Amino acid sequence: MLRIREGGLWTTVQDTGRQGYYHLGLPPSGAADKYSFIIGNLLLGNPVEYAGLEMTLLGPVIEFGKKTIIALTGAPVQAFLNNRLLPMWEAVAVDEGDVLSFRFCKKGVKSYLCVSGGIQVPEVLGSRSTYVLSRLGGYEGRKLVVGDELMIGEPLPGAFKQIGKHVPVEFIPAWDDAKDLRVVMGVSGNRISDEGIKTFLDSEWIVSAESDRVAYRYMGSSISFEEHAPPFGAGSSSSNVVDFAYPIGALMVPNEGEVIVLLNDATSGGGFVTIGTVISTDLDLIAQSRPMSRCRFLTITVDQAMQARMERKKQLIRLDETLKEQG
Amino acid sequence: MFTLPETRFDFGGDEYIYAEISRDMSAESNFKALAIVNELRERNIPGIVDIVPSNASYLVRYNPEILSPRDLLDYLKEIDITKSDPAELNLSIRMVEIPTWYDDPVSRQYSERFKNRHQEPTLSNFEFAMKANGFTDKEAFIEAHSRMPNLITMVGFLPGTAWGFPLGLEPGEIIQTPKYLSPRTHTPRQGVGIGGAFTVVYPVNGTGSYQLIGMSAVPVYDADKRLIDLEDTYFLARPGDLWKHRPIDEREYNQIVAEVEQGTYRYHMKQIDFSPQEYVIKGKAYIQELMEGF
Repeated sequence: MLRIREGGLWTTVQDTGRQGYYHLGLPPSGAADKYSFIIGNLLLGNPVEYAGLEMTLLGPVIEFGKKTIIALTGAPVQAFLNNRLLPMWEAVAVDEGDVLSFRFCKKGVKSYLCVSGGIQVPEVLGSRSTYVLSRLGGYEGRKLVVGDELMIGEPLPGAFKQIGKHVPVEFIPAWDDAKDLRVVMGVSGNRISDEGIKTFLDSEWIVSAESDRVAYRYMGSSISFEEHAPPFGAGSSSSNVVDFAYPIGALMVPNEGEVIVLLNDATSGGGFVTIGTVISTDLDLIAQSRPMSRCRFLTITVDQAMQARMERKKQLIRLDETLKEQG
Repeated sequence: MFTLPETRFDFGGDEYIYAEISRDMSAESNFKALAIVNELRERNIPGIVDIVPSNASYLVRYNPEILSPRDLLDYLKEIDITKSDPAELNLSIRMVEIPTWYDDPVSRQYSERFKNRHQEPTLSNFEFAMKANGFTDKEAFIEAHSRMPNLITMVGFLPGTAWGFPLGLEPGEIIQTPKYLSPRTHTPRQGVGIGGAFTVVYPVNGTGSYQLIGMSAVPVYDADKRLIDLEDTYFLARPGDLWKHRPIDEREYNQIVAEVEQGTYRYHMKQIDFSPQEYVIKGKAYIQELMEGF
């Protein structure tokens, strides 16, 4: 059991997401930075979809109710097990009664805590992920607060052999302040002018403070629209289209001065023009970017997007093999 | 009768294909989207994760490691051409009444709170919607918005949100408004909003960009499953249903809200066999026939 002594800023139970309910408006949810999250489970020898904790900027204070193995990944953060500094990207043993606490993370946004056997909240529609807006899944559909008690699985057979296994530095993400985000252009982009598309790609964009698991907002440049009449039923603002289902990663342009990228807790549809879609692997980078940090959007083809996806997959397979060879 | 131009397809990153049946909204485009989605669901293709019908389009999410993006695109194009006849669609649907308090204090309060994101900050959303549609008389506007039922053409946004598109009206009679310039960060639960030609009832507190013109006395999402009519589901909305707004005053609003809280409220609804084909032929007369005695 994990006893929550302090909830931290925004801590939720997440796994790899909830599939198949988007037609009801239910977004996938799941870990915002899947790469870091999956590595947490690989370190423990857990199946990759086992539920862990996603911690935002300031983690919780947790007391462990039994002896087990944990791994801390994602945004670099100072964490203390009792009073000892806890290494990140490494499988570590904890004893009953140990207390884990955190300082504010200084780079990135989301850190992950995985536990051998996973966190055992009930599955809702096939997933343990928390979707706070509809109070579904996770721990009572909400972020953790003081007094919560989360069941955890039994340490898996062989779990204690994982102790000391660690991720080589080449697999650990760089926590740069400026990101390049790859985009497949298109979807409902026809209302944006050629000039607007050029500006979008040539500009540096700044992350706004109004950003979370639902969507990230960006400011810093101005995208011009075509002058033609809006389609019937869309609404008469230049950014308005007939409402449609947005892909996760869709880049909405609600007005000339703002772009919004939808993340895992996305509102599933709406009526703003979209200029393109950020590829699935780069959503992790968005979720780890802090307010006021910078990014650029780079256009790629769907074939290049597939290539990026397969490279990521191969990297995780290589890491898994490396971990198996350790110890 | 169902002559629609060719669907336009687009890749959404590495996991989505977006199919735009038409840029303009029409009931016909929505019927076609439903027909294609039904066909696609029946085929049960491995690697397809989600099939989402929307107003005049549909979205398919797939696992590109199981299904090649280009092969899926070709496959969808073929279904779109050969298997999208909405004339065969016969829908077993419900007509549901949504008791609505128009121009209520909460909508006005939200209009004020988010006026810096609005094209006309001095007007409430209700006043803005009236003005945008050339109304000066409040009652006439309410009548124009509530006289015909809305076809549920899409669900989503937040779970429980349903887009309603009015049936039986000429395009010129349909009330339309632009969306907020920048989405609100908060919207009241059960707020009634208009954006483009669509009306929604917001299921929970969340973001939103539609103009808030009133409050629904009844929930469209019931996380606690208090109401008998929502026993098997969290959501009131089903694609293809017809929702009819009925204007109510503050007194009746409070009375219905109290019934909902006690768990005794029953939605006013009736079961209908709906033929899109007949609607396209007979139009308004068909809808009036369906509304008889409701």
